[in-house]
Amino acid sequence: MKVPILWLNDYVQVDDVPVKELSDKLVGVGFEVEEIIYTGEGIENVVVGKILDIKKHPDANKLQICMVDVGKEITTIVTGADNISVGDFIPVALDGAKLPDGKEIHSAPLRGVMSYGMMCSGSELKIDDSVIEGAEVNGILILPDTFDIGTDIKDALGLNQYILDIAVTANRADCQSIYGIAREVGAVLGRKVKSPALKYKTEPASISLPDLAVENFDLCPRYTARLITDVNIAQSPKWICDRLKLAGLHPINNVVDITNFVLLEIGQPLHAFDLRQIDRGIRVRTAFENEKIVALDEKEYTLNPSMLVIADNSKPLAIAGVMGGQYSGIASDTTTVLLEAAKFARGSIRATSRALGLRSDSSARYERGVDWSSVDVGRERALALFCQLKVGKIADAAAQCETKAPTVKVITTSAKQISDLLGIEIKAAAIVKILKALGFTVTQNEKKLSVEVPLFREDVENYTDLTEEVIRYYGYDNIQSTFLESAKPTVGGLTQRQKNIDSLKTLLCAYGLYEAATYSFINEKQYDLLKIEKDSDLRKTIGIRNPLSVEYAVMRTQLIGSMLKAVNNNTSRKNNDLKLFEVSKTFIPGELPIENLPREDETLCICLVGENHDFYELKEIVLQLLAKFDVKYKICYGNRPYLHSGICAEIMTEIGSLGYFGKLHPEVAENFSVPENTYVCEITLESFIDAKKRDKQYIPLPKFPAVNRDLAFIVEDKYPVGELIAEIQTAGGERCSDISLFDIYKGSQISEGYKSVAFSFKIQPENKTLTDDEIQAIVNRIIEAMQNKFSAKLRLQ
Amino acid sequence: MKQQIEKLTASCIRQIKAASTRKVLTDIKVGVLGKSGELTALLRNLKDLPCEQRPEAGKLVNEAREKLEAAFAEKFEVLHKEEVAAKLASERIDITIDRPYHDVGCLHPLNKVKNEIVDFFVSLGFIVTDSPEIETDYYNFEALNTPADHPARDVQDTFYINDHILLRSQTSTGQIRTMEKVKPPIKMISPGRVYRADDLDATHSPMFHQIEGLVVDKHITMCDLKGILDMFAKHFFDEKCKTRFRPSYFPFTEPSVEVDVSCNHCHGSGCRVCKGTGWIEILGAGMVNRNVLTNCGINPDEYTGFAFGMGLERITNIIYKTDMRAIFENDIRFLKQFK
Repeated sequence: MKVPILWLNDYVQVDDVPVKELSDKLVGVGFEVEEIIYTGEGIENVVVGKILDIKKHPDANKLQICMVDVGKEITTIVTGADNISVGDFIPVALDGAKLPDGKEIHSAPLRGVMSYGMMCSGSELKIDDSVIEGAEVNGILILPDTFDIGTDIKDALGLNQYILDIAVTANRADCQSIYGIAREVGAVLGRKVKSPALKYKTEPASISLPDLAVENFDLCPRYTARLITDVNIAQSPKWICDRLKLAGLHPINNVVDITNFVLLEIGQPLHAFDLRQIDRGIRVRTAFENEKIVALDEKEYTLNPSMLVIADNSKPLAIAGVMGGQYSGIASDTTTVLLEAAKFARGSIRATSRALGLRSDSSARYERGVDWSSVDVGRERALALFCQLKVGKIADAAAQCETKAPTVKVITTSAKQISDLLGIEIKAAAIVKILKALGFTVTQNEKKLSVEVPLFREDVENYTDLTEEVIRYYGYDNIQSTFLESAKPTVGGLTQRQKNIDSLKTLLCAYGLYEAATYSFINEKQYDLLKIEKDSDLRKTIGIRNPLSVEYAVMRTQLIGSMLKAVNNNTSRKNNDLKLFEVSKTFIPGELPIENLPREDETLCICLVGENHDFYELKEIVLQLLAKFDVKYKICYGNRPYLHSGICAEIMTEIGSLGYFGKLHPEVAENFSVPENTYVCEITLESFIDAKKRDKQYIPLPKFPAVNRDLAFIVEDKYPVGELIAEIQTAGGERCSDISLFDIYKGSQISEGYKSVAFSFKIQPENKTLTDDEIQAIVNRIIEAMQNKFSAKLRLQ
Repeated sequence: MKQQIEKLTASCIRQIKAASTRKVLTDIKVGVLGKSGELTALLRNLKDLPCEQRPEAGKLVNEAREKLEAAFAEKFEVLHKEEVAAKLASERIDITIDRPYHDVGCLHPLNKVKNEIVDFFVSLGFIVTDSPEIETDYYNFEALNTPADHPARDVQDTFYINDHILLRSQTSTGQIRTMEKVKPPIKMISPGRVYRADDLDATHSPMFHQIEGLVVDKHITMCDLKGILDMFAKHFFDEKCKTRFRPSYFPFTEPSVEVDVSCNHCHGSGCRVCKGTGWIEILGAGMVNRNVLTNCGINPDEYTGFAFGMGLERITNIIYKTDMRAIFENDIRFLKQFK
């Protein structure tokens, strides 16, 4: 909110306080000053000058040589402008002058003639017609000849104003105005705050007020109206226009300007209707279904019964608290004004404004909350201005329709209660002084403080609110550091799940993977790019009703798509060797559209990209990870639309599939513009991530040495190595361990369709050293089983 | 005999001196001292001498044998050293060469920072809780003293799924979820993802991370809040780091403050990082609002508490001078910088 110092000074003297100091003090009591705006920012050494003489430049057709009176001297200025004539008053940037765009002006010869400055256009001073008529003209700004020659242009144009841009917190609806800020400034500076001028003269009403009826007091607890007759629509005086402009509003006409002025000054939105357009009564009612109104912004809005309108007996006149109707607005020939001052429920205004996508200064204030008393202050202030500016006659008839006025809140507290919450002792006298300065009425009865809350402080409900009032003025710097002196000790720590996730990440990092972080919402199109079937559960995503864009429109049910986007970010920059992982949630709805909160499954995605990586590297990582959590699994050929059909493994467990890993399908690689040599894994962690690792029992080390044996077989190519190893284990029995493939060979000496596979394994005796015969018996069992099951021929022993 | 021994000894000593390898030396030794060596032969021939000459000759042979064995041993030692030195010299390699090494990865900077923060609070007896990212309006707003008509709802542009389900806009949801389950004394932090309708730029992102903190017990004061945040700032930034409270407003705390730390870059003298103020805003905090305690079934006349919430990206950006875009881009060259 823009608070011009000029305006603030109408209520509390601040023009003798350095602006930075005032700003710091406001920050200290909770009003964040986002910016200190200076209207003459960047303009230095520019003065009002008068052109005394103009001559043609001897050596340049387009240049003219002017003699200019700049007050303390008469100086020569060479210019290319052609909209000037002798006698014109113009802004002159003297030698060493600075302009808002950062340009510095220095004396310099122009085609051999010294120029001691520059005449300025409005745009060079960064001002427009709202500052002075003619500022937007293409050429030198011609000033009124009433200006004093030699005056600093900032003083001449009123560009020496400071404006505080204050962010008012959501609880301080009462500070959404110049007067509200003035109250705080008064308290912080210890200065008296003037009350707004509310006096005016009334005349007997010549016209009667329309009947007034409020149909819904929940949405409109208070509605008041007055008539101003014999209105003469004109421009507002300069002091009104100046203040509106500094606060960021364009003056329109005296009636509209007064409503805007009061809105900014008192914080009370007002609305002025042209009485001619009101068909007998005023009805404050909810809108009919599909009722239409063209608002002052000239757009048509379709209303519904959740919205409140100000209507007459035949049509809606305004969207209550949001915007007036175009039809009933003030026109140049308006003669009688009906002035509305009301209080509307903040939730209703907020909902209506949201639903219509229509915001105004008025709705912004109603959404924060307008208090009961401000309706009177705002209305009376406006009437005083109508009277003061002689806009029209104020009829003595008043109409109002309201619920019972709120009772004044009284909070009983004590210095001790306030001190206890803060942890420092503040004396009752200090508390009373602060609260009184802020408009509270405090009575002290022994140790009790009885605090009467002014009506404009709707945010203050209990002693903690008062504590905040006290400490923000007493000063947070007085809060000392203590360390939970009265708190009981507690046992802290991570949950088992959190610990398990951390240790999983440690394992993945050790394998050379880097952790990525991607957004939880995705573009639904990812499912097409991933070739996910139309009826797949993966497509059952939760959509966001108000997404920023389609890119972030649905909550993801898989991490692969986001991961591939991250891969593309890298490979498009020639980062071609990647090992990434992410642990994040996938959002699995129970029903669609959702009525209950969805499942949020902790999910792991791993991705290896580049020529140096292959399926087996990914598999090693996955198996190590499963082993870490003692997961009992079986790796099977799987089928996932985004994975290569021949290089796709599924992790099966007793409770079902945990996930898939494999090489990316070449079409999916193309869809995401990532290399074909991309390997991905996605696993749901939920089934094992909470598991507490039991303390393991120690197994005594074997007393007798193990025997190593190698066997090589020739088998048909169709038998996967995993099945061969499983058979060796079965046939070899529990003595047989550490079975591993150490060679696989296809080619010369091996028939087409066959392969040579060589395994090593250990035979571990239990309670005596095994004899050669005993070892051979085990080996023979294995050879026999391999022959029977796979027709495997022994190649080497 | 004597001559014979002396001749043999002298010849053998010459050969020992000339020997260049232990193999040659061994051969010489076998040829002289071995079973069928020359000196051994002489010893064997003693039996052919007359009896009276035998002791004298035997002594000479044994003396020669001892002398030669000592010479062999000495030469063996020399040759051994030479051979070891030669082996080592021949095996010298270029240690400046790197083979393609096994790279070790690392956590994302956000999680590194999160873990550091979590460790600090865990060491003080805080539990760490998780709560849903898709939440009901109740947990995100209502229970946090932010009813439907509350103007504070506009400050955060919230993503909605439907009228009562939304993407949580703050980890403060974790306060309610924790207080519903755990009764005082409570010390908890709750890190997680949050969502707000802000376009991605250097300091905003529609998804980011927060860490919420909550302490509820008897007689908890604002000084306790200051104490714990002071200690956190000193632990997390540096010993000299100071904290400052500024009045602010959150619906779920009263009184509410913004907390600044002295700029870790310029130490208060003012720089670009702190925009010349010497202070950097790092979190919002306050005393838990009485309505919030009541909503969770905790008697506000018996218990008080404080809560705080910080943006993880903000703190990460302060520490590493990163920006929001880089954080979510996942460029491997960026990720590799945080080992």
